[in-house]
Amino acid sequence: MLSFVGRRLGYGFLVLLGVVLVVFFLFHALPGDPVSMMAGQRTDVATREAIQKELGLDKPLAEQLKLYMKDLSPLAIHEKGEEAQKKYSYIPLTSVGEEEVLALKTPYLRRSFQSNKEVSEILLENVESTLWLALAAMAFATVLGIVFGVVAALKQNTFADHFIITTSVLGISVPSFVSAIVIAMVFGYYLSDYTGLNLTGQLWVNHPFYGRTLHIENLILPAFTLGLRPLAIITQLTRSSMLEVLSQDYIRTARAKGLRYYRVIGKHALKNALNPVLTAVSGWLASLMAGAFFVELIFDWKGLGFVTLKAVQSLDFPVVMGSTLFIAAIFVVVNIFVDVLYAALDPRVRLNS
Amino acid sequence: MLNRLHTGKLQQEVLLEVKNLQTHYQTPGGVIRAVDGIDFSIRKGETLGIVGESGSGKSVTALSLLQLLGAQGKSMEGEAIFQSRQLGPINLLKATSQQMRQIRGNEISIIFQEPMTSLNPVYTCGNQVMETILLHRRVSHDEARRQTLALFDRVQLPKPERIFKAYPHQLSGGQKQRVMIAMALSCDPQLVIADEPTTALDVTVQSSILKLMAELRDDINTAVMFITHDLGVIAEVADRVMVMWGGKAVEEADVLDIFSRPKHPYTKGLLACRPRLDMTLKVLPTITDFVALDSSGQLIERPDARYHSVGEALLMNVETTEEINKRHLQVLKNTRPLLEINELKVEFDVSLNPFKRQQGKVTAVDGVSFKVYPGETLGLVGESGCGKTSLGRSILRLMEPSSGEIIFDGQNIRKLSNRDMRLLRRQMQIIFQDPYASLNPRQTIGSAIMEPMQIHKLQQNDKQRRERVMYLLERVGLQPDQYHRYPHEFSGGQRQRICIARTLALEPRFIICDESVSALDVSVQAQVLNLLNELKNDFGLTYIFISHDLSVVKFMADRIMVMQRGKIVETGYPEQMFEHPRDEYTRSLIKAIPRGDLEDIRKAQLARMLARKAG
Repeated sequence: MLSFVGRRLGYGFLVLLGVVLVVFFLFHALPGDPVSMMAGQRTDVATREAIQKELGLDKPLAEQLKLYMKDLSPLAIHEKGEEAQKKYSYIPLTSVGEEEVLALKTPYLRRSFQSNKEVSEILLENVESTLWLALAAMAFATVLGIVFGVVAALKQNTFADHFIITTSVLGISVPSFVSAIVIAMVFGYYLSDYTGLNLTGQLWVNHPFYGRTLHIENLILPAFTLGLRPLAIITQLTRSSMLEVLSQDYIRTARAKGLRYYRVIGKHALKNALNPVLTAVSGWLASLMAGAFFVELIFDWKGLGFVTLKAVQSLDFPVVMGSTLFIAAIFVVVNIFVDVLYAALDPRVRLNS
Repeated sequence: MLNRLHTGKLQQEVLLEVKNLQTHYQTPGGVIRAVDGIDFSIRKGETLGIVGESGSGKSVTALSLLQLLGAQGKSMEGEAIFQSRQLGPINLLKATSQQMRQIRGNEISIIFQEPMTSLNPVYTCGNQVMETILLHRRVSHDEARRQTLALFDRVQLPKPERIFKAYPHQLSGGQKQRVMIAMALSCDPQLVIADEPTTALDVTVQSSILKLMAELRDDINTAVMFITHDLGVIAEVADRVMVMWGGKAVEEADVLDIFSRPKHPYTKGLLACRPRLDMTLKVLPTITDFVALDSSGQLIERPDARYHSVGEALLMNVETTEEINKRHLQVLKNTRPLLEINELKVEFDVSLNPFKRQQGKVTAVDGVSFKVYPGETLGLVGESGCGKTSLGRSILRLMEPSSGEIIFDGQNIRKLSNRDMRLLRRQMQIIFQDPYASLNPRQTIGSAIMEPMQIHKLQQNDKQRRERVMYLLERVGLQPDQYHRYPHEFSGGQRQRICIARTLALEPRFIICDESVSALDVSVQAQVLNLLNELKNDFGLTYIFISHDLSVVKFMADRIMVMQRGKIVETGYPEQMFEHPRDEYTRSLIKAIPRGDLEDIRKAQLARMLARKAG
């Protein structure tokens, strides 16, 4: 199991390397002048030179890539001295020659052009609210989706089944920005007197008297919107998976033992039916963290997607690149987690046993 | 002695009495009478065998008794009075679901056909057996575990502790079926229903499972309802036999009577159409030689029946020793083989781990050499996993061998280019096992048969090809006007005929039949085997006939090769091989075949009587 996880981590590393290369070449090797794009309307020499120096754009492409990699690599050779130490905040391991030192650090994602804040700092500030949003959406979608799916499967070809399936088709086909606008308007505006929900709002609000306060209710609408599509898909997935399992011979065996109906469903059918569903669920969690862009924008939810979109608008490249890498890393980690989970659930894929 | 056995049985109490059981399905196409009014009874400790072909309603009967049929469009009539330990006499067809739960697994348990799919893959075997005990017995968890381990020991599973913790996919088919038996016996049921429990297993495993079931049955004196399509198996286990056809019971009698004095022509047909080990037949009698359908769809004795008894049917077709010798000599006259295999090896890379390529190799075929002469049928027999299918496929290069020579008609086909190989495939064809899966459901059968001719540009134009298809359809016993039908409109036997016609379209010289009759009912099997032999003579074909069923291979083959673990362990003429098998493995294979001859039945009954006396 350990070597399995280790190998998956290795593959994850390769995936990340690929992402770094793609991101790097997208922003550096495509036609157009990144410097003037970044500088925007401003043409003063100082800004241009600052950007050029920060990105090392005066150097050849290979050299630039090498520098970017060096910034990202957790284990790299850096210059000695106060300035470099502060920039990378590394932990020196051993000296390499007079001037340089082999050091351990967290990947350095450079600084935002707009705020001059470190990108990693910006990401960390915003990841929390996206994480809560994604988790809430996923929890809502999973619980309801499995319930609806099981109900539809057990009541196959009845009104309940047809109703659930028709509704879920609607849920799959409506784009999230449309549902986001409709939901925000209906529940956050027209019906806000009854629902008590706001059109937009944050999880944490800095109140002038009470300080930083938690506002769970602001999570409801965006999480609901974000969870709609996974809910529909999980419902359908659970239904078809459940129907297939129910026709298996071992379900007949379980009934032939004299087990109660709900025990046959709950113990023998559900665990088999949920395997494909769980994989899908965990896969969705990662993509929800990345895919919350529209929802975050419309509900003005200050999360990763929101920050990234703003950064794209203002051509704040280090932030865009940093968040892309960050989300890719989340994907990789979640996928490894899914594989391990899958092996734990289904003994047939359990490895080396 | 037999009389005493009878009176002994009569004193036993009736355990289950079924009267006029009818199970019907409402379908859009009309009512299907799956079980159409059958009566039978099972006494305590008695074994009733139910024999029938697929669609005869034998499994539906069993599932109806336990109310395990799917709910949709089904209706059950009649009554089935069961003497329950807890509930007294109860009609199983009308029992509430609460009552049924008390009976299922506790008083009546069932063993299914497919051990591969009948166990839940995500729970350990121990867990699944323990579940039944905990459900029906008031025992602690530890006690249930102890009982489960004892059961595993009793069904002769090696290392019960290990099996307890193992998941179903880690066990072999025979072991899984033993776990199913342990599960069925876990609560000392009064009645065990065994629904084709050995059909999916190899013949040697089958014989060990049958032996185990017979032993356990005598031990705990439980009644058994044994359902099978195989009369040979029935002969070994049953006290009484009921023969079913079309949802009805055509005959019910003592097992010895069924085999020695069958009354109904259908039973006679079933007995006669089985390929036999003790004599060589020229043509297999078929059920249609005995019975016909009257205008109302009822089964009646054929007015112009060729045979009136099983003995007659066999005697008229038996091949004499002289004829056999003549046939052997005929083959010996051929000096130049059509196909020569030298040191053929087929290996597979196995990777237990999806992230490492090549962790090891499995040798499916391990240095096999043999020759096939023109006009002969070479039988290739072995149990599942012995490499016979890999061998067959690699001869046609449907699978690339790793080393060795395949010489067909003087040329080494492993050295041929893809283009030359395609041309050569015209002469070498294969008929696969599953006629359901090897026809494209969206292609009419006519175009399926015509397609190979188009690919190989046989005949001048499509009109001639169509005529050829019509001819072939007629030749394999179908109607030429069925040209535009789709495969789903045909039965399994008819589909296999279509596959044969498709194979013949290319006018091959050499055909590999890979388990070509294994998926068919015994009566249909006889017809297809006769057809294959007929075509062989008419078209001058050469066959390699691959099967796990020794009796079928014996009927078909001029020479037999026995394969075990990728190697050929014995080659010889069938008559000699069955009388004096040289290899230990061949001997065990032959011994394991259920024969169904009277001598064996008498022995089995005697043993059963002694066991009962002792018990």
